[in-house]
Amino acid sequence: MNNAEIQELQAAAIQEVGAAPDAASLESARVKYLGRNGRVQDVLLALRQAPVEQKRELGRLANEFKTSVQAAVDARKDALQASASVASFDVTLPGRWHGLGTRHPVTQIIDRAVEIFGQLGFTVADGPDIETTFHNFDALNTPANHPSRDPKDTFYLDDTHLLRTHTSPVQIRVMQSRKPPVRIIAPGRCYRRDTTDATHSANFHQVEGLYVDRKVSLADLKGDLTYFARQMMGPDVKIRFRPHFFPFTEPSVEYDFSCHVCHGAGCRVCKHSGWIEISGAGMVDPHVFKAVGYDSSEVTGYAFGMGVERIAMILLGVPDIRMLYDNDVRFLGQF
Amino acid sequence: MRIPLSWLNEFIALAESPREIADRLTFSGTEVEGIETVGSTFSGFIVAEVRAVEKHPNADKLSICRVFDGQAELQVVCGAPNVTAGGRYPFAPVGVTLPDGSLTIKKAKIRGVESLGMLCAADELGLSSDHSGLLVLDSTWPAGTPLSEVLGPPDTVFELEVTPNRADCLSAVGIARELAAVYRTPLAQPNIAGVSEAREEQAPWVRVEDAVGCPRYTARLLENVTVGPSPDWMKQRLERSGIRAINNIVDITNYVMLELGQPLHAFDRDLLEEGRVVIRRAKAGEKMRTLDEQERELDPSILVIADASRPVAVAGVMGGAGSEIRPETRMVLLESATFDSALVRATARKLGLSTESSYRFERGVDIELAERASRRAAQLMVELAGARVVGGVADTRPAGAALRRIAARYSFVRDVMGIAIGDAEIRAILNSLEIQVVEQGGDGFEAVIPSFRADLEREVDLVEEVARIHGLDKIPAPLPRSTVDPQAAANQTTRAKAVLRTVLAGLGVSEILNYSLVSDAALDLFDPGNRDQRAPIPRPLSADQSVLRISLAPQMVETLGRNRAHQIEQASLYELGRTYSRGATGVTETESLCIGLLGPIGRTGLDRRRTVTAEEMFLWAKGLVESLARAVELPPLTVRPTAVAYAEAGASVELLAGDTALGTLALVDRRIRKEWRLSDPVAIAELRVAPLLANVLSVRTYSDIPAYPSVARDVAMIVADSVTHEEIIRVMREAAPPELETIELFDIFKGAAIGAGRRSIAYSLVYRSAQRTLTDDEANGYHESVKGALRAKLSAELREG
Repeated sequence: MNNAEIQELQAAAIQEVGAAPDAASLESARVKYLGRNGRVQDVLLALRQAPVEQKRELGRLANEFKTSVQAAVDARKDALQASASVASFDVTLPGRWHGLGTRHPVTQIIDRAVEIFGQLGFTVADGPDIETTFHNFDALNTPANHPSRDPKDTFYLDDTHLLRTHTSPVQIRVMQSRKPPVRIIAPGRCYRRDTTDATHSANFHQVEGLYVDRKVSLADLKGDLTYFARQMMGPDVKIRFRPHFFPFTEPSVEYDFSCHVCHGAGCRVCKHSGWIEISGAGMVDPHVFKAVGYDSSEVTGYAFGMGVERIAMILLGVPDIRMLYDNDVRFLGQF
Repeated sequence: MRIPLSWLNEFIALAESPREIADRLTFSGTEVEGIETVGSTFSGFIVAEVRAVEKHPNADKLSICRVFDGQAELQVVCGAPNVTAGGRYPFAPVGVTLPDGSLTIKKAKIRGVESLGMLCAADELGLSSDHSGLLVLDSTWPAGTPLSEVLGPPDTVFELEVTPNRADCLSAVGIARELAAVYRTPLAQPNIAGVSEAREEQAPWVRVEDAVGCPRYTARLLENVTVGPSPDWMKQRLERSGIRAINNIVDITNYVMLELGQPLHAFDRDLLEEGRVVIRRAKAGEKMRTLDEQERELDPSILVIADASRPVAVAGVMGGAGSEIRPETRMVLLESATFDSALVRATARKLGLSTESSYRFERGVDIELAERASRRAAQLMVELAGARVVGGVADTRPAGAALRRIAARYSFVRDVMGIAIGDAEIRAILNSLEIQVVEQGGDGFEAVIPSFRADLEREVDLVEEVARIHGLDKIPAPLPRSTVDPQAAANQTTRAKAVLRTVLAGLGVSEILNYSLVSDAALDLFDPGNRDQRAPIPRPLSADQSVLRISLAPQMVETLGRNRAHQIEQASLYELGRTYSRGATGVTETESLCIGLLGPIGRTGLDRRRTVTAEEMFLWAKGLVESLARAVELPPLTVRPTAVAYAEAGASVELLAGDTALGTLALVDRRIRKEWRLSDPVAIAELRVAPLLANVLSVRTYSDIPAYPSVARDVAMIVADSVTHEEIIRVMREAAPPELETIELFDIFKGAAIGAGRRSIAYSLVYRSAQRTLTDDEANGYHESVKGALRAKLSAELREG
């Protein structure tokens, strides 16, 4: 073969390879040109038989023949494979991987509250569900005859132990163990002897907050709760205080959030009042400081509680508190 | 408590709308829970005189009345049982519409008898829900008088929620005093005149034997009493305040209680043996019939008012049926006393009896009020019942005590409120609440507390008074103070739990929450053996919630069952909660994690309809727990067969991370699953949370990434079924040098070709040196020692090639 014949053969080979309609015909084309008995042997024979002065040029051509035809085969193979893989399965079939688990709405709200108050420097404190009457009532300045102590409202285990009726005993435990300043948030389960209905549950969660330092004021309470409300419910939410009475705070307030749905105009969520009652708060009563050995001439403090289920119901639009404890996966999967 | 606005207006002039007044009350601390408009203009209604009543010929319960409307007599059919000839009743003539708009009166035939109008009961007039009979009007009203003249203009009734510390607000004057402070308007007190204030020292007809239970007892005698109905205005006020009118004497005692806050009681003195009262503890076995016609067993814990021989009233709670005011009562002994609040509370609870009187005494009635309230009631009895006051007042209390004084600072008020309020404003607010301010020079002052404000004891109590009257809405909401609390714990547990929850969510497990209180029956079903360790609730609400849960598993299985009943085919759930177990030192609370799996949860392909085998379910659960353990940085898990009370036989293990016991993994026994019709396997893992959190937050340190290539060698063998995977791994590990990096199971086969009681099992072993590239010979050498050990220790038949 002369030079021109080699180049012709090369062109024909590349063309045939490039036109191979499937993997089998590509393979036979490859064998035809590059196989052990393929046309490449003619080229190599020509090289071997060529006079010395032509070997250099023929060698280059033979090499080019092999590499270029092989490159064409590879390229065609890739192309065939690519088209084959596109055509071979249904990309619209459902994906196969296990799904993610969901978080319970109550713990979502607790975590969010912990996170928000964490931004204000609050850390988490904890206490037992089974409390002493000292921590749950006495130290919180609750008089011996206060209705909340009534066995018809509180689960007593014996004369001195009960299921805590609020998370406030955690305040006592923390202040007994530390000197001021104190800035804690205490989420946890609470228990009251309430018959369960759409808005009551014998078993519920609270988040307690306590901030004790020099010159903590009602204004600080309002500012911090406002910050919380805006982070939790929405940027325009406002806080409203109403005077109230609790044994462990003085002054005591109940606080409301302006409705995050209608922004105060009145809607179904806020029962057309523009406001949603949240919970109670106030300035820590000096009797409480006395019970834990704090000097109320040195420090003041505020405390607040909030019902987690209540916030979950308001924020997520859950109509019945019992749904939070039914654990229906069709419900849990929504949040 | 209910109070008509018209009553408040007697003591304070208010031009504001009821809504605005209600808001001011709510935001100064007396919550208005309801605002009700009562009465109406009663357009067209008149007073009618019934002149004759006959039975309806065709109906037992109806009567035919001849009604005089001031001009003519009309025939009216009436169904009320109390209609009597000569009575005056509200009358709606034909064409008049009831106040609620529900009915316009038409000429009608009722059971064949013509009726020209309607005689009305209180509910038909929108005055109350009372439909027991016609509203009886005072017989002095001439027929034809517009009803609006009798019943007055429409009024507003506030439904108030008074906090337990504010006993002084349980009266019209008390609420008016609050409004006077809020609006800075003068307060007018009821004008009491014409009754002697003279004290009868040592009156022999009053004796207090328990001065602690009864620190003050006052009594007045009134003679020549004519008992009869109260005037309409008084009846109306009482009824609008939620108290039924009875007769003028009883009504006056209730009226003064609502007006001033002092509960009173009127005895028929002629029914008191020897005409005297003794305030003493009841004797054991003494009995008394109270005004509600209940026979009450008394005992020495109960304070009573007695006459010479028997109890005639339960002090502060309720009078007795044997000494009450009767139509023929001529002489009244009027009691106005102070009883110990704890004693009244205990008695009320013991007798299961809560009254307007006990409600007020439990919260504390101002001891200085007793005599004035008595005088006020006596004055009304003189005016309205023709009574004559006999002598002065028997009063067991010595002169009044000095008023409490509280030392306070203006700056403290400002600091606690967090607001710049001036001294003069603070003073003005306190004065408006009848608290006198005595300047002490500079920042200090002394507050003189009126006797009716027993709740004010400390400086901080004064802050509340200033804050609520000044207005909590005027307190600003500044941006939070940003300071770091140097003592703060780092929230380790909270952070670790958050990681745990995130890992579980990533593993596809969803969180549930169940109640902490469960039934013994549910716990028994799972493990009757742990009864002794359960913590029962002595007074449960129901058997369903009568014991603290000792395990999260029963509710988890129940949850899976409930979801299954809702046609949920598969679920992977977890609960992170406390379990409670009782021991010698009390009840221990343990943070626990329970994971429950149901259905083909481990399959991601299309073969979800294939029945889930026990082995599959167990291994999914095990794989899940292993992943969890890995994610929280625990050493590799091993299992130890162990009995779990609720497990299918042979399908329960203890889970160990190194030497640490984490908990158990089990398939729930069929017998238990049947309770919820769970026919397929259910896996339950119960883990202690503490070890799961131990390493979560640990800081990981770097270890070298392998620099040299590894060599893989497979080994396939036939072993007896009794040889476990864990054993095989252990034998291989023991036989191999440290260069054995990983062992991976890649095939298990059972079948006839292998023979019964045996299985083929195959592993891929990876060898690697950290120092150099292993040669084939080295790797083969390691592998041969592994194989040798398998043969020697497990009688494994190795399958070559």
